[in-house]
Amino acid sequence: MNINIDSEGAFGSAVVILEPGEKFVSEAGAMYRASSNMEIEVESRKKKNEGMWGAFKAGVKSMFAGESFFLSTYRTNDNQSGEVGLAPTHQGEVRKITVGSETWICSGGSYLGSSGSIELDTQYQGLLKGGFSGEGLVFVKASGEGELLVNGFGRISEVEVRDGITIDNGHLIAFTEGLEYTIGKAGGGWISSMMSGEGLVMKFRGNGKIFVQSHDPGRLGGALGALLPPRSD
Amino acid sequence: MRFDIKGNPSYGEVDIDLGPDETILIEPGAMSRMSSNLNSSFQRQGGFFSAMFRKMFGGESFFLGKYSHQNGGQLTFAPSVPGSVQHYQLSNNKINIMAGAFLACTPGVNVKAKFGGFKALFSGEGAFLLEVSGNGDLFFNSFGGIVEKEINGDFIVDTGHVVAFEPSLNYKISGMGNWKSTMLSGEGLVMTFSGVGKIYLQTRTIDGNASWLTPRLI
Repeated sequence: MNINIDSEGAFGSAVVILEPGEKFVSEAGAMYRASSNMEIEVESRKKKNEGMWGAFKAGVKSMFAGESFFLSTYRTNDNQSGEVGLAPTHQGEVRKITVGSETWICSGGSYLGSSGSIELDTQYQGLLKGGFSGEGLVFVKASGEGELLVNGFGRISEVEVRDGITIDNGHLIAFTEGLEYTIGKAGGGWISSMMSGEGLVMKFRGNGKIFVQSHDPGRLGGALGALLPPRSD
Repeated sequence: MRFDIKGNPSYGEVDIDLGPDETILIEPGAMSRMSSNLNSSFQRQGGFFSAMFRKMFGGESFFLGKYSHQNGGQLTFAPSVPGSVQHYQLSNNKINIMAGAFLACTPGVNVKAKFGGFKALFSGEGAFLLEVSGNGDLFFNSFGGIVEKEINGDFIVDTGHVVAFEPSLNYKISGMGNWKSTMLSGEGLVMTFSGVGKIYLQTRTIDGNASWLTPRLI
C-alpha cells in the first residue's frame, strides 16, 4: 500500500494505491475517483462476532462521532494494483498517520479513512466532556497496524506534547492514547475566560502527540453567517 | 518574542514564542492552542470610550484576550476566516487598517477607531477604520491572500479590497474611466491612492464570497 497526499494547503486529498489482496476503508462518500478495477463495497461497522444489532449500534454511534453510518471498503478485483482517491467534504488539509505502537483517537468528523488492518472503535466521551468540547460526543479510536487518514479545517499541525497543552474547542483532530483531557476554563477565572473570548478549552495532560487544525469552523460560521440570508425554514 | 506565520495565503496562523513576562493581546476567540502554563486574562484596549467606539464602529471587540507567563510559553492564533495573516512592525508610526482586520498586537500598540470621512462611505470598507499607532508588533488578517504593494504615484484599487495602508497615502473615490466603463466593467467605484507608502490588499472579499454563495444555498 502506498498513500500519496495531494495538494497540501486549502484542498487536501489522498490517493491510496492498493496491491492485490489489500483493503482500504473510508467513511461513506469520501471517494472521488477510482481505477476501474477497484471494487467498492458498503460495510457496516460491526466487529467480528456481532450480529445485526451490533452493526446498528456501531452505525448509530459513529453518527454521533460525526461520521457516516456505513463504511466504504476498497479492494482490487483482478490481481492487479489499483488506486482510489479520497477527499473530505470540506476545505482543509489531509494527513496520514501511521498507527502501530500508538493508538490514535480522532475527534468527531476528523476520520477520513484507514487500512483494512486497522480496527475502528467508537469511544464515548461522556456527556459533560463531549457536550462542551465542541468535538462531538463520540470519538473514533484507531488501533492495530496500518495507515490512518484524517482531515481538518485549514492547516493541520502535529504537536509533540510534553507535560500538557491547552487546545481551544474546535481545533482538535486526533491524539495518541494515553493523553488525558479535561474541559476547563482558559484563564484563571470564569470571567477572564469568557472575556478573552475562549470560554472553554481542552486541557491535555501527559505525553504524546496531537494533530490540530488551524481554523475553527464555528468561527467561520459566525463570520460568514451574518452575511448570508436567513434560513427559509 | 519570536513569531512564525504559517499557512498563507489559504489558512494563515501565527506561532508565537513568548519570552518571560512578554505579553500578546489577541482578538477574542482567536487563540487556538497554547502551553498549559500560560495565563489568559483580558484587557480593555485604550480608554473606556475609545474601546466602546472601536467596538461600535471598528468592528472589533471591547476587550482583547491577554496571554503571558513569568517563564514565557508558546501560543498559536488564527483569524476566523480563511486567508492571510500579515505582520507589521510599528516604531512610533501609524498604519490604517480596515474595520475587522485586527488580529493581535503587543502591549505598546494602540488601536483606535477613526471616521474615514465622507468618502469612506463609498469605499466598501465601512465608514470607520482603525488607526494603529505606537511601538511593537501588529498582526492583521484578510479574507483571501494579502498583496503588499509599495506605491509611488497613483494606484487604483477596487473598493472592498484594501486591508491596510500607511497614512502617508491618500485616496479618493471615483469611477473607472467614463460612466460606461464604471457601470459595465463590474467594478463600480474604485479607490485611487496617491502618495508614497505601503498598501496591503486582499485578493478576495468576504462580502463577495457571501453574495456568490447566497443563490447557491438551498
